[in-house]
Amino acid sequence: MFHIVVCGGIVPDPLQTLEPVKGPAGWGLKNELMLPSILDPWASHALYEAAHLAKAVPGSKVWLVSLGPKAKLQQVMMTVAQKAPFELVVADGPAGGFVDSFEVAEALFAAISGIAGLDASKLLLFGGWQSASRGSGSTLQILGEKLGITDQFQGVDKLTVGADGSLEVMERIEGGAYQISTCTGAPAALGWATGELPEPPNNPQVGMANMRLVMPALQKAKPAAVNAAAIDYQSVTLPAQKRETRVVKDTPVDVIAQEIIDWLAS
Amino acid sequence: MNERQSMETDIVCVGFGPAMGGFLTTLAKGIVNEDGSAVMESTVVPGLPPQVICYERADDIGVGVSGVVSKARGIRESLPELDPACIPLCTPITEEKVVYLVDPHGASRRSLPLKAADAALKLLGGKFPGCRYKDMAVELPYIPPFLEKHGGLTFSLGQFNQWVGNTVMATGAAQIWPASPVAAPIIEHRKVVGVRLADQGVDKAGKPDAAYMPGMDVRARLTVVGDGPVGPVGRAIDEARGLPMGHHQRDYAVGMKFVVDLPGNCPWKVGTVIHTIGYPEPEIFGFLYVLPGHVASLGIFVPSWFDNPVRTAYRYLQHWMQHPYLWKYLKGGTIRSFGAKTLQESGKNGEPYLVGDGYARIGEGSGTTNVLTGSGVDEAWTSGVQLGQAVVELLEKGLPFTSENLEKTYVARRRASWVEAEAKIAARSREAFASGFIPGIIGMALTGLTKGALCWPADSEPVHKRIPSIEEYYHGRISCEEITRIRQEATAKGLALHDALMDKVGWPEIEYDGKLLISHQDALLLGGKVQAAPGYADHVTFECPDTCRACAEKTCIEACSGQAITTNPDDGVPLFDREKCVHCGACLWNCSKPSKADPERTNVRFAAGAGGLHSAEN
Amino acid sequence: METILFCAPVAADGTLAKASLEALSAAKTLAEGLGATLAVGLFGADVAPAAAAVAACGPVFAVTGEAFAVARYATDAAALEALAKAASATIIIAADDSRVSRALPGVAARLNGRIDAHVVAIAAKDGKPLVTRGYYRQRMTAELTRAARPWCVTVSGGCYAAYDGAPGQASLTDVSVPVTEAMTRTTIKAVVAPSADEQTIRPDAKMLFVAGAGWTKKQGDGAAHVPEAGQLILGFLGKAKASLGSSKSLVDMGGEGESVLPFLTHLHQVGQTGATPRHQKGLATCCHGEEPHVVGWRFITERRAVNLDAACGWAQGKADVLYVADAFEVMRRVNELLG
Repeated sequence: MFHIVVCGGIVPDPLQTLEPVKGPAGWGLKNELMLPSILDPWASHALYEAAHLAKAVPGSKVWLVSLGPKAKLQQVMMTVAQKAPFELVVADGPAGGFVDSFEVAEALFAAISGIAGLDASKLLLFGGWQSASRGSGSTLQILGEKLGITDQFQGVDKLTVGADGSLEVMERIEGGAYQISTCTGAPAALGWATGELPEPPNNPQVGMANMRLVMPALQKAKPAAVNAAAIDYQSVTLPAQKRETRVVKDTPVDVIAQEIIDWLAS
Repeated sequence: MNERQSMETDIVCVGFGPAMGGFLTTLAKGIVNEDGSAVMESTVVPGLPPQVICYERADDIGVGVSGVVSKARGIRESLPELDPACIPLCTPITEEKVVYLVDPHGASRRSLPLKAADAALKLLGGKFPGCRYKDMAVELPYIPPFLEKHGGLTFSLGQFNQWVGNTVMATGAAQIWPASPVAAPIIEHRKVVGVRLADQGVDKAGKPDAAYMPGMDVRARLTVVGDGPVGPVGRAIDEARGLPMGHHQRDYAVGMKFVVDLPGNCPWKVGTVIHTIGYPEPEIFGFLYVLPGHVASLGIFVPSWFDNPVRTAYRYLQHWMQHPYLWKYLKGGTIRSFGAKTLQESGKNGEPYLVGDGYARIGEGSGTTNVLTGSGVDEAWTSGVQLGQAVVELLEKGLPFTSENLEKTYVARRRASWVEAEAKIAARSREAFASGFIPGIIGMALTGLTKGALCWPADSEPVHKRIPSIEEYYHGRISCEEITRIRQEATAKGLALHDALMDKVGWPEIEYDGKLLISHQDALLLGGKVQAAPGYADHVTFECPDTCRACAEKTCIEACSGQAITTNPDDGVPLFDREKCVHCGACLWNCSKPSKADPERTNVRFAAGAGGLHSAEN
Repeated sequence: METILFCAPVAADGTLAKASLEALSAAKTLAEGLGATLAVGLFGADVAPAAAAVAACGPVFAVTGEAFAVARYATDAAALEALAKAASATIIIAADDSRVSRALPGVAARLNGRIDAHVVAIAAKDGKPLVTRGYYRQRMTAELTRAARPWCVTVSGGCYAAYDGAPGQASLTDVSVPVTEAMTRTTIKAVVAPSADEQTIRPDAKMLFVAGAGWTKKQGDGAAHVPEAGQLILGFLGKAKASLGSSKSLVDMGGEGESVLPFLTHLHQVGQTGATPRHQKGLATCCHGEEPHVVGWRFITERRAVNLDAACGWAQGKADVLYVADAFEVMRRVNELLG
């Protein structure tokens, strides 16, 4: 039986146009509050894997711990809550990418420490391998350390639980290869890549069941203290990326193919 | 997961738009106290307040709707504390203009009197005393009182809906579930007893696939239908009951819009509202609202009485933006958002049965949109408020949601309100457009200025009867042989015809600037951020394939706001790509062929579907 | 004054990975810019050959032993922590590879320091270290500095030339790290490399070939030609020794039961929710799409695209050359010409 804590932030819906702006509270995104948000895609995979695992191992439980503005989280939860059963834990604070990973980890640590009945010896700390905002690749490890977890895995695509509670983990490493490790059991921290599960359908009943706990969790969310001054940003810019595209039209295939061959050889 | 789940609730609502916002805001105040405790008890979960669930088909509340200018009488009445500054992109109206745009290219199809007027303006415009003619446009010296929105608000409906939805949910009185298309009402013994959600994990044809999950049945004491002008639940009820005697829904428009970051040199003041007439075609009206943050919400309405079978809103929108009067200040701006929606313009004439046993209709699908005043959001909101008050009254009295009780409480309130009074005035105001642009404008003025006492009468017809053949429409401008050649070429390439035809009659080619003048495909991606989750059936289908095969206009393809319906090089039945659909529903009424089952309907079926626009700025 | 420690695991053959040598160049550049002390921290079963190779850079601290030969969080973190402490490092620089990026953030936490990963440039500016890194999936770039120390930085591959200084006699300090039972709860069982045939991700390849969803769609004759698409793509990859990337829509189809190219997995996905690989050249075929997925192109220096749509958002303004043509025909011919 596992106590699975999934950490996941909210990020702008992937097709949104993003532009950095400096405000009184530091760097953020232009119209950040107006952009539709989603649960971070990697964290979503982690959540689906957690729900899948919890279903397979009776007695297990899933918490979703998120640092974000309460109102925005409430809205995102209306989509996420239909996907998998979980209990929500909210740290009311910024969701933007410009917050330092150490600060985020501290806020999450404070939120996790407040979970009643969480058994550290059964703890599986899940999260996204990267996030679509900060992409720091470091929050989960720092949080793991704070929780005293020294078996950590990143870029995980598969977790198999043995009959003895051992964990076999498949991690992405360089060159398209996988490293396969086994860990004697919980506690462990796993940063998920895409995993192997498809996005579950929206299940209204799962949503209704989650909602009984989501609304109270949002109501009792504590403001998270994050120090926006941890990083001294000198500049944040959009890359100048417009290229002059030469369009080759109405040209015989042979000519195009030869041009590509010449380019390859150049 | 292959068994259909079923759930009981007190009230189930379909579609979260302004009407549902008004309903839930009002209902919440009546059923829960400020501390979240119950004023009254649910019958399905004793101890809790009545359980209210709202399903919205779009992927988030507030995505996929439109910019608004409104007197906001009803909204302000139910939200007296409303501070526009609390809602992004919301501002009081500071200036209103109605502008007639002259055709700078001579490519539009204008009647002789209109051509003469244009010629006179071009020649003498600046010399008429009092005539403000500049940049090929005349700012009308006077705005008729029925059109005026002075003292009102202009805002983004997306942001407004988000704000309302979050406020409602924070009260704990209702749950609003996005990405949850409702397939149909459940009707038993002539009574609506709930709704059925759309199946998931199905293929394009709706057949069970991996992760099949049949849509859940949600049974409720009251079903509130607010799914808009093309919503499948409202239409299913209309199909089952028919419309009240003498009513028909034949007047529509598709509104297509951009939200634009204005260029630095643009002098338009925040709160400016501009309405245009005359261009790109006389039948196409334009709007431009200047919102806070140097942003404009702008676009055009392409109405059902614009008898052009290749009625592409997108290409026309690009020509409209480039009219010298607008382009002077738009050039250099950047697209932020794009969207399109159908407007139900039949108003009172198309009003369905507002209530029945177990259900009530609110919002645009219930005929609230007022075409004379050019207002719909405030009316929709108010209809929701009226139902909210009625439902609280019935709950307090412990009375069932029968047709009779809803009639006495909700319909009575609506009939006694300004919404109804103004709808009656507006009822015949648009008739004359069936006879042409000039009679239409005169008729509208006549009706508006006499408060409905007079009108310019004209017969209405279902849209499909109005759509001429392409050859007829371009008679005298493009030869039949040329049209045949264009059709063959476009079909082979899987393209719509409008670009080739419009080029042919003198519309200048659009020179893309990558900012505002972008391909339709880019508008979908950069502006609308259109996407669709897998696992749902195609929601646009064609009732009789042979009818499509025999159809030479294929207005569904030409009018499609998302390039989601395309020419099929192998078959006459158009192709549909649900990943591009913006759910505007224009195909539903822009089809030129009647349904074999009901001549008021067309050959296009438009069902519940997930996905679509992902911009909350519209 | 800053003390910069470059850290790296040593491979079984005693060498340092290319990514580590690149990070060493970054560390050296910074040390020189700041006038700071540079030290080297190595860990592995046997570090001697590697220590000799980088001896010219500065004093070498080393944690050795069999337990440190494998890529395991607990032992890697313990080694890195001990090295940082032994060198009294204020700035710790390492490669952004899977092994170090797994362990170093936790080390930063243990040292009560801070970390920045995926750093693409590190330089001295006004006497302060300044790092450059991407945010929002590389859609924007930030230059930042920090007051907190120690500051850990992992440097992305391909941003610096690999260090290739002359070997020498290293001044080596052994750092002892006792291996506890808690550090070996995890055992590395295997590394599964893709077989030679499916070796389609080649980080060292000069060229990235991006396959879009168009390959699986109906072609001009009204039918889809997925098997031929597969042959053409694999044929090109083999002949041109190119790496394979794919658009999200094509990879996602696998989950929707459509006929897809069987050799494609989520590992190939480039863009918003995939990788942003670095290659000299990139050829995109049958891709249509939008900004977030185009992010997959960001680090491709020369970009060309083959697509039927001249207005395609994937290519316009983003590729150097767009060939408006049928990719089937073009790639068929290209493969013929490649022999």
